[in-house]
Amino acid sequence: MDLTQALSISSRGMDAQTERLRVIAENLANQDSTGSTPGSAPYQRKTVLFENVLDRSLGAQSVRVKAVIPDKSAFPQKYDPSNPAANPQGYVSMPNVNSFVEMMDMREAERSYSANLNVMQASRSMLTRVIDLLK
Amino acid sequence: MADLFALAEQRLEWIDQRQRAVAQNIANADTPKYQPRDLKPFDQLVADQIVEPATTNPMHLQGQVELASLRQEVPMERSPDGNAVSVEGQLTKVAQNETNAALVGNLWKSYMGMYMTALGHGG
Repeated sequence: MDLTQALSISSRGMDAQTERLRVIAENLANQDSTGSTPGSAPYQRKTVLFENVLDRSLGAQSVRVKAVIPDKSAFPQKYDPSNPAANPQGYVSMPNVNSFVEMMDMREAERSYSANLNVMQASRSMLTRVIDLLK
Repeated sequence: MADLFALAEQRLEWIDQRQRAVAQNIANADTPKYQPRDLKPFDQLVADQIVEPATTNPMHLQGQVELASLRQEVPMERSPDGNAVSVEGQLTKVAQNETNAALVGNLWKSYMGMYMTALGHGG
């Protein structure tokens, strides 16, 4: 039955968005994680990369997280000589996490997740309707 | 007389395939460079009539013609990463599919009811 395949494609989509949300949570949780030795690097923001893959069992292009890659943008510097990670000049490298960017990303993931969920609900109701024809 | 059951079956098959295509598009709504796909409209398919190879010998393999093959959609918008899926447009298609499936289901039921009446089982 093809509709059950539509269900699995949607669930792959939801899986991918869940993974993305997990990375966002990780970024937000670590937005203040600095290093512990002088001049050491802080937490580096991560981003997800999606990819469409041909799933042979489904005969369709399903989706997966291709890689979780570090964000290469520069670390903002903060003057805080009391921090153990401060360099001789008293500056600390802070993580390159911007909470507004993460929030935006979170909304986007949420929107995609619910779109997948909607398709799943629709497929399921059609499937039940076809099964009802047997009655 | 047109075979309503066969037509309904074809239509359901088409809805199945389309739902699969839409699910695929929405799952890939954030994949860079992904192009959305859709099926040829059903009325066009019926008008074209599917051509099947003639079997002149029982040993011949039945060539199977896919009811509707996927084709790339003309994108309405494109994001900077090259993705051309419009989630709103795709969800509209989901709604259309649902309505069509309901229509086919109800037609099937009422047609079946006519048979039942003719056979003396129905009300």
